[in-house]
Amino acid sequence: MMREILILGRGGQGAQTAGNLLARAFFEIGQYVQTFATYGGARRGTPVTSSIRVAADPIRVRCNIELANAMLCFDESLLDRAFLANADNKTAIVVNSSKAAEYFSGIGDYRIVPVDGRQIAQNHGMGKVINSALLGAFAATMGQPDINVLCDVIFENAPTKKQENVAACREAFALLSESARENHQ
Amino acid sequence: MNTAFRNQNFQLLSGNHAVAIGAKLANPDVSPVYPITPQTPILEKMIELQSQGELETEIITPESEHSALAASISASLTGARVFTATSSQGLLLMHELLHYAVGARSSIVMFNVNRTVASPWGFWPDQLDSLAQRDTGWIQLYSETPQESLDTVIQAFAIAESARLPVMINHDAFYVSHAVEPVEVPDQSVVDDFLSPFQPPIKLDPEIGRSFGAPIAQQTWNESRRDLAEVMSGIGELVTSTGRQWDEMTGRRNHGMLESYRLEDAEVVIATMGSMCGTVRDAVDSLRNQGVAAGLLKVRLFRPLPAAALREILAEMQCVIVLDRNYSAGTGGILHQELKGVLYGLDSTPKIHGLLAGVGGTSVSSEKIQQLVTSYKDAAFSLEPVWVE
Repeated sequence: MMREILILGRGGQGAQTAGNLLARAFFEIGQYVQTFATYGGARRGTPVTSSIRVAADPIRVRCNIELANAMLCFDESLLDRAFLANADNKTAIVVNSSKAAEYFSGIGDYRIVPVDGRQIAQNHGMGKVINSALLGAFAATMGQPDINVLCDVIFENAPTKKQENVAACREAFALLSESARENHQ
Repeated sequence: MNTAFRNQNFQLLSGNHAVAIGAKLANPDVSPVYPITPQTPILEKMIELQSQGELETEIITPESEHSALAASISASLTGARVFTATSSQGLLLMHELLHYAVGARSSIVMFNVNRTVASPWGFWPDQLDSLAQRDTGWIQLYSETPQESLDTVIQAFAIAESARLPVMINHDAFYVSHAVEPVEVPDQSVVDDFLSPFQPPIKLDPEIGRSFGAPIAQQTWNESRRDLAEVMSGIGELVTSTGRQWDEMTGRRNHGMLESYRLEDAEVVIATMGSMCGTVRDAVDSLRNQGVAAGLLKVRLFRPLPAAALREILAEMQCVIVLDRNYSAGTGGILHQELKGVLYGLDSTPKIHGLLAGVGGTSVSSEKIQQLVTSYKDAAFSLEPVWVE
């Protein structure tokens, strides 16, 4: 069973890096992965999509993801009709936003999980660098990859502030794991 | 931690980084490269490897692709092993010297990332850039995966230096060039055993009074093309034997001119090149599960076209669906044209449908391919190319 994940951000936000880190974490636990980014001439601020496939067997298909199992959206302003066309009511959509889940109920029958990545990043002196926090939230929502493996990958690959990146990832993971448990009850 | 890939030389690499590592393992003397999206990560990785002391090559970054190829030709003719890389507009700017590189019998290995050609501007996978160079005399190979790209770069040096003809390897923008996936990197010792040193019988050397490319009379010029034709006639066998040798040394598979996937008893064969082959494999398996006997014919070697091998396979088929990720205005898909030509004169020929699928980088899913097979396997032949989306 192949899982397909889409990450959407703006050029410079780290969506492509997040895709590569997530793929690496799945690779580390022995899964086959394929991740690719598409962008129209890589300008800071324009939308960038990173696509990730994860499977137990080698991945052969080379085309866009049409219906994602999960999505990670770096900016709620990008959560538009075109992006949501790749989701259905089972798709877990983690979105970077300070707003509560109810705010998004008007968009449609989607499973939207907001996380205030900006606030978590600031808690750890990370400024606008939100991708480690969002990855932690994503792992909690998806139930995978293993948070320790993910944090190891982030630690190895973060160019600076390695401990801070890991701490932001763990805080978001804990926050979302708690709300996932509450929702379950 | 890593169970499936433990104790193996797997690395998580993009297609372009796999190319750079393949080039590094072949140990080129000179690498003139001009950066262009989406080829740039090849050059970036080579510079990174060079700065870390892992790659000893003279990287030249001149002011244009035209100059990069000019430097490549000159370096190759001195007996240096040469690697270069480009894409789209860059390849088009090289066009004049693509012919020259062949006529001068240089042994350059070039990696081209297939990208739309302007206008309009775009960065998307489309094979018209390299297919439009099909009459220049470069050996052309098309790669489906990052792994195949790495393996083919290494094989290409053996082919180019043996044939004394330049080789162009192509992979699709983004779907391969930027696809990060597990790639098995061979040991340096394997590549060293595989590749012989480049020792051309004739070379440019200031110690030897000899020139290349001097003006010649008609008959001698004519003979230069007859020589080229003779060399071309042996390239298919050279590609096959080189691929077989590589596969024996590495345990890998399918580095021949063509690859057949589930063609046994196939009632319909899907023929294509590059990244779409992977999606077709998935579609073929699904169609077989639905009771439709489909198969894939992957064209890996496009120039010289392996006409005899294609005839042998296709003559047995009832229906061929060609998926072309390119559009030659006024005629249609280029692979479709070539395959129609190959089939001429057979006692009975299969129906052959030319579908323009994925032109400009549009996504072609496995489900879409399954629908196309269902729609076209019993359809009447159409002389006109068909746009499908």
